[in-house]
Amino acid sequence: MELARPTSGWPLLRRVLREQRRGLIAGMVVGLLWSAGKVTVPRLTRLAVDNGVIGRESLWFWSGLIAVVAVIAGVFSGWRRWIAFRESRLTETRLRQQLFAHIMKLHVGFHDHTQTGQLMSRASSDLQQIQGFVVMIPITASNLAMVIAVVVVLFTSQPLLALVALAPLPVVNLLAVRFSRSIHPAVLAVQAEQAQLATVVEESVSGVRVLKGFGAEGVQAAKLRVEADDIRRESLESARIRSKFLPALDLLPNIGLIAVLGIGGHRVLDGAMTRGQMLEFMQYIALLIFPLRNLGMTVAFGQRAAAALLRVNEVLATVPEVADPPKPRSLPHEGPPGSVRFRHVTFGYDPASPVLRGFDLTIAPGESVALVGATGSGKSTVARLLTRFYDVQDGKVQIDGVDVRDLRLTELRHSVGIVFEDTFLFNDSVFGNIAFARPDADQADVERAAALAGAHDFVMRLPDGYATVIGERGFSLSGGQRQRIAIARAILADPRVLVLDDATSAVDPSKEHEIRDAMATVMEGRTTIVIAHRPGTIALADTVVLVDDGVVAASGTHDELLATNERYREVLATLSEEEREAAEAAEDESRSITVRGRDMVGD
Amino acid sequence: MWAGGAISDEDRLDRSETGRVLRRSIEFAEPYKRFISLAVGFVTVSTICTVAGPLLVKYAYDEGLEKQNAMALNTAIVAFLVVVVVNYIVGRQQYLAINNAGEGFLRDLRVRVFDRLQAQSMAFFDRNKAGVLVGRMTADIESMSELIQWGLLQFVQAGLLLAITLVVLAVISWELTLVVLVVLPILVVASVRFQRQSNEAYLDVREKVGHNLSSLQESIAGVRVIQAYDRQDEQIRRFIGTNRALYDSHLHSVRVSVWYFGLVEWVGVFAVALVVGVGGWLSHQGSITVGTVAAFVLLLSNLFEPVQQLSQLYNTVQSAAASLHKLYGLIDAEPDVAEHPKPVVLPMRGALVAHDLKFRYDGAERSALSHVSIEVAPGERLALVGPTGAGKSTLAKLLARLYDPTAGYVTFGEIDLRLASMASLRDRVVVVPQEGFLFGGTICDNIRIARPGATDAEVAQALDRIGALDRFQEFADGLETEVRERGSRLSAGERQLISLARAALVDPAVLVLDEATSNLDPGTEAVVERALEHLMTGRTVIVVAHRLSTVRRADRIAVVDHAKLVEVGTHDELVELGGRYSALASAWARSQPNV
Repeated sequence: MELARPTSGWPLLRRVLREQRRGLIAGMVVGLLWSAGKVTVPRLTRLAVDNGVIGRESLWFWSGLIAVVAVIAGVFSGWRRWIAFRESRLTETRLRQQLFAHIMKLHVGFHDHTQTGQLMSRASSDLQQIQGFVVMIPITASNLAMVIAVVVVLFTSQPLLALVALAPLPVVNLLAVRFSRSIHPAVLAVQAEQAQLATVVEESVSGVRVLKGFGAEGVQAAKLRVEADDIRRESLESARIRSKFLPALDLLPNIGLIAVLGIGGHRVLDGAMTRGQMLEFMQYIALLIFPLRNLGMTVAFGQRAAAALLRVNEVLATVPEVADPPKPRSLPHEGPPGSVRFRHVTFGYDPASPVLRGFDLTIAPGESVALVGATGSGKSTVARLLTRFYDVQDGKVQIDGVDVRDLRLTELRHSVGIVFEDTFLFNDSVFGNIAFARPDADQADVERAAALAGAHDFVMRLPDGYATVIGERGFSLSGGQRQRIAIARAILADPRVLVLDDATSAVDPSKEHEIRDAMATVMEGRTTIVIAHRPGTIALADTVVLVDDGVVAASGTHDELLATNERYREVLATLSEEEREAAEAAEDESRSITVRGRDMVGD
Repeated sequence: MWAGGAISDEDRLDRSETGRVLRRSIEFAEPYKRFISLAVGFVTVSTICTVAGPLLVKYAYDEGLEKQNAMALNTAIVAFLVVVVVNYIVGRQQYLAINNAGEGFLRDLRVRVFDRLQAQSMAFFDRNKAGVLVGRMTADIESMSELIQWGLLQFVQAGLLLAITLVVLAVISWELTLVVLVVLPILVVASVRFQRQSNEAYLDVREKVGHNLSSLQESIAGVRVIQAYDRQDEQIRRFIGTNRALYDSHLHSVRVSVWYFGLVEWVGVFAVALVVGVGGWLSHQGSITVGTVAAFVLLLSNLFEPVQQLSQLYNTVQSAAASLHKLYGLIDAEPDVAEHPKPVVLPMRGALVAHDLKFRYDGAERSALSHVSIEVAPGERLALVGPTGAGKSTLAKLLARLYDPTAGYVTFGEIDLRLASMASLRDRVVVVPQEGFLFGGTICDNIRIARPGATDAEVAQALDRIGALDRFQEFADGLETEVRERGSRLSAGERQLISLARAALVDPAVLVLDEATSNLDPGTEAVVERALEHLMTGRTVIVVAHRLSTVRRADRIAVVDHAKLVEVGTHDELVELGGRYSALASAWARSQPNV
């Protein structure tokens, strides 16, 4: 049910890299050309000094040659950078696309157990880590080539001096690895403390009424001081780590330079070496500093990328549990459409404690049924099983005689339309939200659906009519308006079976009848299951079914049940009380403060 | 990829704003003077050491190698070693000094901004979005920590290095320096251009990342609707669009950097060619030595790297200045409900009286209350009723001085609340918010919020007084249960009980209640009702009522409608009157038949 547990993320990276091998190889070739150019500079400088400055050969030839190499180094350096970043961003973009497509196809049960934030961080910060590693691949390859070339050049010209001068340099690499490794947890610790401080600030702002009501600002102020001190402590710890490594990284190449000056200088005095050669050595040492640091960073980045790859792969390797059957059947086209049958269905979100236990329900084509039950009775679960958000543990759910598990998901979900209790609107135009199930619908189709749902009139009064952007970041609609948009969305889908999870709690009581009218219009001649909370809605249905403790406890008309069933009266009373309170709570929310998530923008 | 922090044009500060930010920062940094002067000292020494290296190489070439003098060579070697070791030691210390100063500064900034935030009135919190306030305390301050950790140091170091190197070069050979200065302007112009382009590119990337993430988040949050309507493929198609836009934006930002870094590479090598060519010619003329040429080759990087660093830090420094500007603005905002300079302690008991109150929310067109006068006697229970938005909650808040009235005043025991000390006011008048908001920490901590000095026993007593002690002691960890870990499992009713226990702990003379409207199961409902009854006994109570049952238990009822007090009296009197209240009461009676 939850995330898959692959043991390694490397196969994923291998696959990605194979797809991009041409670009990556091109990057490495360009990088090698850059290295070749850079490596010649100290040698050319030496030749220029020895032959041109000290000796009296043509100075302009040598410096002209260096100027030519300058152009080569410049061009290939930019080119290498371009390819490296292009390829790494391509990896990131492709993986994000794959992740998204996979997340969209994963079963609802998976989403119930996985926090949005977890998936978000895989698609953002984890992919950043991977990108950071991929960019290093061509760069590291050319750096490595440069280091090898320099080492070979130095050893062939002055083996002993090369040995002494280069001895401290591997330590640069080692220190860079160790630095990256020890700074990473320190940075994470600072971030963790920052998050704790953010929690204190968030709760102080959202709980400001309590704090003001009791004059308790001092309590939060004390908490904040603790967190601010913690941040300072952890930040100073990370500064201590930096102070331990960074000056040492600067120190080591200088030790090499001193060795060159000491040994090389005396050799020059002895005539065993030229002054140009000494300058060449110094330049080569300076040339090696950045590639060696970079190699160290690559190692550390690789380790972080491995962890990120593993987390990304956890999602990609999770198999959708609700999927198309191997041999799908189709819904029959003859006879009146829309019969629904639950046959002895047992199901629980936690299999050990079933919500429905042997649930039986038959609905004839065109019939409407109201499901009534207390909170947690299982009435909303019925709808989720019908559209196969979950698979039953036992028994079966049929539409027009076909088990929903034998249908293609596309066909099933086109034949069942649901208006959810919590109306979810996308950040899109009104048109886009209604045409959600049928993106190819034209203006006339959308307006017809909106008119049927009683939404057309208020939509026309919106600033941009059907083009008005709604949703979280758009124009805010009232609860009733949102609901009517959702109903219009279901109408446009034109399903065989319609499920209305009636959350009229979000609706101003005076507008309730408008929704009810919309519902009545939609239900006409269509198989409808209404998950009802108020008497007015219940009255819309032909039959009422009382769901209690996971089974159908009673069925009949509203009046029959009211007259004969004590439990039914009880449930109704509780529901109406909940309704009224929820409605008031919704109204009062207008002044309440909400804390939005901190921006997750990172790059 | 480049030094973090980009800045949009509207955030850029003008000259006078920059001056103000600088002055305030110097004020704030006052306690860290010692660390700052140490850091500046260390940075100067370290920069001098960095420049000294190549100069010693020159000395070795000219005095040692040229003149075949082994002593001079050895002197240069030893001096180089000393310089390197000093640089290492100083380098370590400068990190510590600058971070001690910087982190101390940020710590103080966090504390001062937060304290000022908390001193603000409710009206301030109504005005400002919570997300923005939280952002000031987190993102705005964090954006500066990067600058403090390495940027500030680098900024100073780069500037010094550039200046000292230029001076040194000019002293050892002004002719060769002039030649090098031919390429420097190219680098400066390119860096300035790159800084501008990369800033724009970065802002664009940031915007695209935002779109990408919000489209991702929306699709995950709405996955049930998407699957129910078989919309996965369409959503994927759209996501590919925003994802592609992000990719293009990234590529644009790379394109901007590619020519710049290529140019930097070219300048570095080309300058070597110039130094060797022109320097060689000059040495042929006899005006400079080979050592000078060598020193120039080695010193060149000291000239070019600082230019790059400075241009990259420019954006970071500017965006930090913009953040500081906003934070100082917050610190300078005077709280509008503040304690009187010479506060009076309120008497233990007294009548709570509203004198001709008028109140208008900031930016609102109409007054939320006008000409409201009412007296609540000690021990009296007053219910405020009326339609949503009529002003009944506002009246309750004015009576507790969560806001100050626009006109008129409120007295307790004949003392104007605005003259009272905040401590005594919050001891006498307690507002119990309708939602049982929980803070991080244990149940005990959550109740103690109301009276930080209270002992565990007093907290338990408070719970006991409202008859809720047993309920919480049944938990495995009792009152020490962490509310966040238990999380949503603390029911709405339990949260309300904690809220009531807070009030019981304060033991105030006046209780202002906003009646809860959230769903409670009937069992808990009864417990909360009982707790409330215990709490109200013997106190003056002002309750914003939503239920007939609560209204019936009040001594008097005040009906608020359209910002005015329209009816005041007992239930029977008002029903008799046949006005607003009697209509409301009969509507309630229909919808709540069981009362």
